[in-house]
Amino acid sequence: MNSEPTRTVFVVDDDQAMRSSLKWLIESIGMQVKTYGSADEFLNSYFPGRAGCLLLDVRMPGMSGLELQAHLARDDSRLPIIIITGHGDVSMAVKAMKSGAVDFIEKPFHDEDLLTSIRNALEFDEKQRVLQSQRAEIALRLATLTPREHEVMDMVTDGRANKEIATVLGVSAKTVEAHRARVMDKMRARSLAQLVRMVLVAGGNLQSP
Amino acid sequence: MLFHAEPGPASLTDTNVTVNSTPAKHVFYRFFRRVPMPVISILVGLAVGLAVWGVLDRIQGQAIKKIADKELQTQLDRQARESLIRFDQYLKNYVTTVRLLANHRSLAEYLEPRFWLPQKAPKPIVYRESPPSWLNDFIKRNALSVHSHILLVDTRGHIREVYQSGNMELPQALNQGVGEKLMDAGKVRTVVTRLDGWPYLLVSDVAEDMDGYRMGNLVMVVPINDTFLAASQRGLSSVHAAVALVDVDEQQILASIDPELLSPGTRLSEWRDLYLITTRPLPEYGGTDWNLLFATFIPHHSVKKMSSRVRNFERQQRVRAAFAYILVFTLVIYLVSARLNKVLKRMVGFSRRALGIEHPGFKRGANQLVLLDEWSQHFAQLVLKAREEMSRKHAIEMRASEALKAAIMEASLDSIVTLNRKGEIIDLNPTAERTLALTRDQAIGGSFSKLFLAADGRRHFLGLLKDSRRARREGRISQARGQLTARRADGSEFPVELSIVPIQLNDRSFYTIYMHDITNRKEAEQEIKSLARFAGESPNPILRVNPSGLVVYANTAGAPLLAAWGTQEGDLLPAEQTEEVGKALEGEHSIERETTIGNQIYSLLFTPIRELGYVNIYGRDITAVRHAEQEARRHQADLVHVCRLSTMGEVATGMAHELNQPLAAIVNFANGCSRRLQSNLGQRQALVDAMGQIATQAQRAGEIIRRLRALVGKQPPIRSEVDLNHLVREVHSFVEFDAGKMDCTIELDLEPGGISVDVDLVQIEQVLLNLVRNALDALQEVPPTARHLVVRTRSVGDAAEVVVQDSGPGIEPERMQSLFEPFFTTKVSGMGMGLPISQTILQDHGGSIRAESVPHGGAVFLIRLPVAPTVQPSLAAVG
Ligand SMILES: Nc1ncnc2c1ncn2[C@@H]1O[C@H](COP(=O)(O)OP(=O)(O)O)[C@@H](O)[C@H]1O
Ligand SMILES: [Mg+2]
Repeated sequence: MNSEPTRTVFVVDDDQAMRSSLKWLIESIGMQVKTYGSADEFLNSYFPGRAGCLLLDVRMPGMSGLELQAHLARDDSRLPIIIITGHGDVSMAVKAMKSGAVDFIEKPFHDEDLLTSIRNALEFDEKQRVLQSQRAEIALRLATLTPREHEVMDMVTDGRANKEIATVLGVSAKTVEAHRARVMDKMRARSLAQLVRMVLVAGGNLQSP
Repeated sequence: MLFHAEPGPASLTDTNVTVNSTPAKHVFYRFFRRVPMPVISILVGLAVGLAVWGVLDRIQGQAIKKIADKELQTQLDRQARESLIRFDQYLKNYVTTVRLLANHRSLAEYLEPRFWLPQKAPKPIVYRESPPSWLNDFIKRNALSVHSHILLVDTRGHIREVYQSGNMELPQALNQGVGEKLMDAGKVRTVVTRLDGWPYLLVSDVAEDMDGYRMGNLVMVVPINDTFLAASQRGLSSVHAAVALVDVDEQQILASIDPELLSPGTRLSEWRDLYLITTRPLPEYGGTDWNLLFATFIPHHSVKKMSSRVRNFERQQRVRAAFAYILVFTLVIYLVSARLNKVLKRMVGFSRRALGIEHPGFKRGANQLVLLDEWSQHFAQLVLKAREEMSRKHAIEMRASEALKAAIMEASLDSIVTLNRKGEIIDLNPTAERTLALTRDQAIGGSFSKLFLAADGRRHFLGLLKDSRRARREGRISQARGQLTARRADGSEFPVELSIVPIQLNDRSFYTIYMHDITNRKEAEQEIKSLARFAGESPNPILRVNPSGLVVYANTAGAPLLAAWGTQEGDLLPAEQTEEVGKALEGEHSIERETTIGNQIYSLLFTPIRELGYVNIYGRDITAVRHAEQEARRHQADLVHVCRLSTMGEVATGMAHELNQPLAAIVNFANGCSRRLQSNLGQRQALVDAMGQIATQAQRAGEIIRRLRALVGKQPPIRSEVDLNHLVREVHSFVEFDAGKMDCTIELDLEPGGISVDVDLVQIEQVLLNLVRNALDALQEVPPTARHLVVRTRSVGDAAEVVVQDSGPGIEPERMQSLFEPFFTTKVSGMGMGLPISQTILQDHGGSIRAESVPHGGAVFLIRLPVAPTVQPSLAAVG
């Protein structure tokens, strides 16, 4: 477990006691906690890309937990959300899970349950983040390919032989070989397998490399 | 008058010839005319009497003969029976005599010293002239009238001594002794038997000596001959009747009362020509094996004499009857003819005076009946002629009047309809056709009441018909009037005034109906009536004021207002009001003001009537409304409070959520502390702060619980009298918003006039609120278009009823019983306390609650409460 100081647990709860008690508890395992009294307050200070996870009370005056969740989804935020529900709010929790929350936890809860849930969320966030940066890198490399090289790469990763590609494109096998070498070089792929994976990540078809 | 126009009346003799057609008849008639009536009556009487007599003689003669024969037969029978009885009686005399002799002392004394040796054929001692000593004086005095013998026989039947009273010898048959039959000890025996071919009577009794030793028997032997029979029949007044004893088997006379007439030995059949013979069997005398008959002989000629005497008497009677008949008949005819005569004379007089017919020329000695007949024929002809003339004139007059009537009918602005007795239309005028929108052809023959009257008026109409008839019968002005609703052919209805005149024509009844459309009149009347009453009847004050503030008019209800303002009709209003009057006249619209007078709050509407330059002030006492509003506000607060209390389910959920907050915080703080302490991380101060937080949150939790308890805590109930409708309306206002959100309107169907109940209103409203809430919850489960909710109040006898009915899914039968159990609920957030609490509340109030469910038709909850004993209008008005 690598606990970088940049990762923060954001807590949004309208109840003051709840907020401070959560902060007290989570900080006891050495994590950074930031608390907000309402969804609006959180949104005001939040910017996308912040690492961490969000602990969200579903029942709040003003913007409710679910509404905040929807808001974040619209902003393309990938901050993992853990929903805290009161007794009997199961239906709300289910709704939240369907909208993409990673977990929900019922009040009052065991500290271990909460902390495990937070750890999982942070881990998930971490992976998301890595994937995100890889995707950005691959995208940069892909941008350097010429259209013909792109074509060749698509067919290669499709599993076609050089000769076949040459027939399709109406060029010599030698030319195809040359294109292919340039693609491998530009994409900094050491093997065909690596190239295939890169294409998959860039297409968003792979969750983690 | 009419008859004077006739040519002179024909003479009576002229018509004579026409009456008689044939010559034979003519002759007879001539004769008949001449003979006076009394003579004819006597002649006819005689003839009829004779005829009656003749017929009676024939018919009755036979009948009487039959009766006489029957009578004779019974008489003869009776005589025969009497003869036989006498014979029998006579016989019994002998028995008595024998008993007397046998038991007489003298016999016993005589026998005392004697002893009869048993011998084969002892020679009996015979006494002839003088009786022996064992016969007592009785015999001497009543010497046996016939040739009888008295024997003493020993026990074996041998004769020992004989007394012979006459000169006849003892029958030979007895020489050998008397038979065993007679020797029965201890009993008197009587036997009629044949000795030497002749009938004899043998009577025997035991003979004993003084010591009671039985010596034998005393036997009397009597020949049954003419002497015997004559003696037996002595004293009987016989009608030349003879009697005889007859042997049945041989049909032979054995002995007769008169041997010269009926000699013994002859056969019965030989005498049938001469005599009427009646036979009777003789009673059986002790052990006789001889069949004997006792015959009565009556000579035929004496029988005949008897019956003819009866017949003659009858004939005499008949003659008398016929004579009386003739007499009466003649008298009656005579009287009738005399009476006829008188009538005839009077009629003649009348005909002469009234009709100018000449004297028919009655003579005293003529037959009045025939004359009357002739004259009356003549008279009839004259009258016939006169009548024809009259009817001709009448027809002319009728035609004229018909034309007139038709013209009147046609021109009449009223509808005129003529009905027959059954109420069917037989005529109607054009106005009627127009008014009722029906052509003549369609209308005629139809029932008036069915065609032209609204259904509810038919009875009234029939009543009017009846009235009109009664009026006519009683000789009053025969007209019945009434107002009814008529109906046109197209079904539209309109009011009419009807007048019915019954007409009697040749014993047939008709009705003429005059019908006047009074639609306009009715409307106008209505209008005026309602307008006139408007202001005066108003329970609210209405004033009319002129621009200077002068009260021109004030209704009765306006009096308190004027009194409070210190003014009256004809005086000025206070300045304040006068100012409003001015404002109202300047402005476009009415002005509304509120004013308080004493305890009353009035709303005053100043309405300008510019055309007339007046202002109308409409007052309205709104005290009750204001009070009710205040009451409602206060009450609503109460209700909200109790509502929270009652819907404990909701409260508990809320509370549980609220309680969760501090508890979760406490857990977090505690866990945070223990982690820090375990890893020796926490600073002291931070830990102390966290502990402080724990304490604070614990207090917070306690606070919540205290609030909960306060909320659930009981309040003393307060009863007051209130209109149940008011409670329903209030509850309705509380849930109206919720119901509206789910597209459901609540229909209130309230008992008009309110229902006063004595209840704790907060509690009852709580009950109602729960029911309505439940209904709304149930309605959530059906589509919005199918959501109906009705709250109904009714006063049923002593009870007030509230029904809450929804169109929700209803209640399943197996759940019905559990409804009122605490904590029974089918709702996620339900508590299941609503209905049980409601039940408790209603029981406290002496009421009840009941649930019913119509499958797929929703649920019905029914509340019953006792109504308050007295209704206080002020409270009822609050609603
Ligand atoms: N109008 C109704 N239609 C159908 N079910 C009803 C109705 N009213 C009451 N019920 C049933 O009765 C149960 C008990 O009612 P109640 O005592 O008021 O408790 P709760 O507040 O939980 O509804 C309800 O849960 C429901 O199942
Ligand atoms: Mg309820």
